[in-house]
Amino acid sequence: MAIIGVGVVGGFGCGMTDLAGALTQGGAAVKTVSVKTSKGMVSQPALLADPSSLERFVPKRAVRRIDHFSRLALLAAHLALEDAGKLHAERQKMGLVVATGYGATRTTFAFLDSVINDGDPYASPTLFSNSVHNAAAGHLSILLGVTGPCLTVSQFDMSVASSLLSAWQWLDEERADTVLLGGVDEYCEVLGYCRHRLPGCQSAVIGEGAAFFVLSRDAETSPPYGFISDLQIGNHWGRELSTPHDALLLLDACSSEYRQYIRGDSRVASYSPIYGSLPVGMAFDMAIASLSLKEGKVFPSPKAVGNPFRLNIIEQEQDLIIPQFCCVKLTENGQFAVVTLARR
Amino acid sequence: MKRAAPVPITGVGCLCAAGMNLQQCMDSLFRGTRHAAPPTRFETSHPVNYPVFEVHADIPTTALHHGVELGRTSRLAVAAAIQAVQDARWIPEQLRSRRVGVCMGTTVGSAMNSEEFYRQYRQAEDPDMDPVIRFLAGNPATAVARELGLTGPCQTVVNACSSGTDAVGLGAFWIRSGICDVVIAGGADELCRVTYNGFISLMISDDSPCRPFDRDRKGLNLGEGAAVLVLESDQTSQARMKKARSFVLGYGSASDAYHLTAPRPDGSGLRRAISEALNHCGRSAEEVAFVNAHGTGTPDNDRVECRILQEVLPGVPFFSTKGYTGHALGAAGALEAAFTVACLEQGRIPQSVGFATKDPELPACPVKHPTTVTGDIAISESLAFGGQNAVVIFGKEGA
Repeated sequence: MAIIGVGVVGGFGCGMTDLAGALTQGGAAVKTVSVKTSKGMVSQPALLADPSSLERFVPKRAVRRIDHFSRLALLAAHLALEDAGKLHAERQKMGLVVATGYGATRTTFAFLDSVINDGDPYASPTLFSNSVHNAAAGHLSILLGVTGPCLTVSQFDMSVASSLLSAWQWLDEERADTVLLGGVDEYCEVLGYCRHRLPGCQSAVIGEGAAFFVLSRDAETSPPYGFISDLQIGNHWGRELSTPHDALLLLDACSSEYRQYIRGDSRVASYSPIYGSLPVGMAFDMAIASLSLKEGKVFPSPKAVGNPFRLNIIEQEQDLIIPQFCCVKLTENGQFAVVTLARR
Repeated sequence: MKRAAPVPITGVGCLCAAGMNLQQCMDSLFRGTRHAAPPTRFETSHPVNYPVFEVHADIPTTALHHGVELGRTSRLAVAAAIQAVQDARWIPEQLRSRRVGVCMGTTVGSAMNSEEFYRQYRQAEDPDMDPVIRFLAGNPATAVARELGLTGPCQTVVNACSSGTDAVGLGAFWIRSGICDVVIAGGADELCRVTYNGFISLMISDDSPCRPFDRDRKGLNLGEGAAVLVLESDQTSQARMKKARSFVLGYGSASDAYHLTAPRPDGSGLRRAISEALNHCGRSAEEVAFVNAHGTGTPDNDRVECRILQEVLPGVPFFSTKGYTGHALGAAGALEAAFTVACLEQGRIPQSVGFATKDPELPACPVKHPTTVTGDIAISESLAFGGQNAVVIFGKEGA
């Protein structure tokens, strides 16, 4: 699959220029959020996204009933289409895939508020319809006029990799000529609370945002961002991952799991301090790999990542001598995904 | 669009209010019996008790994750998957050495919406975290893969009410493309207070047992359940001399781009999805033996769906099984896929229960009695929130 456009919004800002700036600076502006606990308010660092630039593409009136989650998706999708020069293109043969870990959590809990505060008979229909996981895809198809196949996938950390299978299917079967694919997740206070309570979640900076891609068949001769050249997904059941020797591995954390399952001599980078910790983080790694392929350089891994397991981390910016990038994701229950992006 | 190769279906499993396996479900369907009743698993304060279709029997699985029992949706999914795998005459140990993927549809199974947890959280108590752990462990596709020890890709499709249909269509591609030898494809969903309140708030729930395509229909009844098809490559099924029960022939998917909760009045999305599915397998409308319609019983859905069926597939008998199962949301398309396979095998379709009086606004009626059908292919279709339309074509034979 050729990548012909990319759009991003996250704690680093809005658009590929802001993303490149944060990568060059080695970090993004971390904010603080407060979470209510039984022992009082607890502060947490967070990388929060601002979708207000959506007004550049969609009149304010048209999005007044659309929630934060869908606005993030709409903004990143419009940016990707603009980047691909397809903002005003015909969309009858376009497919749409949205990947999300948790869906529109703010709206889900707002709907529960309406039930708890007002009683069962007075639950809010608007909040309910917007809390359904495919609401963002619905808004995207309505506002963009996408009438091709449309899919939402929720596979927690594997959502993005899993959704790529369907984009590939639609292009391969010639069901669609292009696919608008993206990952989106939002911060909400309840998620912040859960991270505070659940073991192993406290250390990472929580993130939110959306990263979208315009994908086409490989017929494109020289797409600006290269190609998705390989996709592996499944359960490794304790086996080492198979990745090319000449690839840079993009990890969401330099953790012991990665140390265990990647080859010892692998060169790695972890850019999660740029976009934060969120289930669809792999979409941001794909955006960074795309940017590296386009600009011909490898960005240094932010120092905030640390390197307790002595991985071979890229610490300095360098001209592109790396021909391919593998975005790697592992979960504690043995699931893995490797998405490879390459110039050819 | 490229022409698709048929994908053998070697096993089917399902459980819902109509029965705890496919045979029991088909017996209920052909007897015309249904069991709609007020919910028993939760209480509400609505002045009217909207009926639902619950699974009352114990769900035969004890899967645990981190010491916490899996959520009901995942237990339904696992139970249906185990039935289907047994029906396909696989033993799980054999599957572990092959490339086996899981593609499951759901809605509730992907939603972090535990009221119990949230009520405690709002009161600044220290809520029990088990509901959150259960949610994080309860992704239906992952739960099935973990329970069966599978190594292939997992995908949980959350396309609202078309999720189960989409999961079957998408899973078939994993076989055709060579990603997998076997795919466990289907859908699962549980009844829950949140969706119960949500559908009532939208004023599309019927306060009596639902009446799909009937003049006096008022809306849907929610249901719950799960269904799974075992899809496998020709090479795999032939090597172990397992005859296919049926085949996935084609899949179509299209968006209305119209409204979040109402179908496009001209039905163009559904029309396109049917057309795509037929093109996908190189079949014509004249070959279709019957249609297992979405038929929720809501005024809008049934109006649009009936008009398109009459326009695209005139004279082809159709029915809705929502009157037997309720609307099982992410499981609905999978349950209906399982019923479609069984109807093709038996050469007959059940009465569209709940239908009694022709609606003068609708150009056609569903079947009122069990009906013998001839022909080798059948359609199962779903329309969903978000304007999604999905159609799968099943065939008795692969050729």
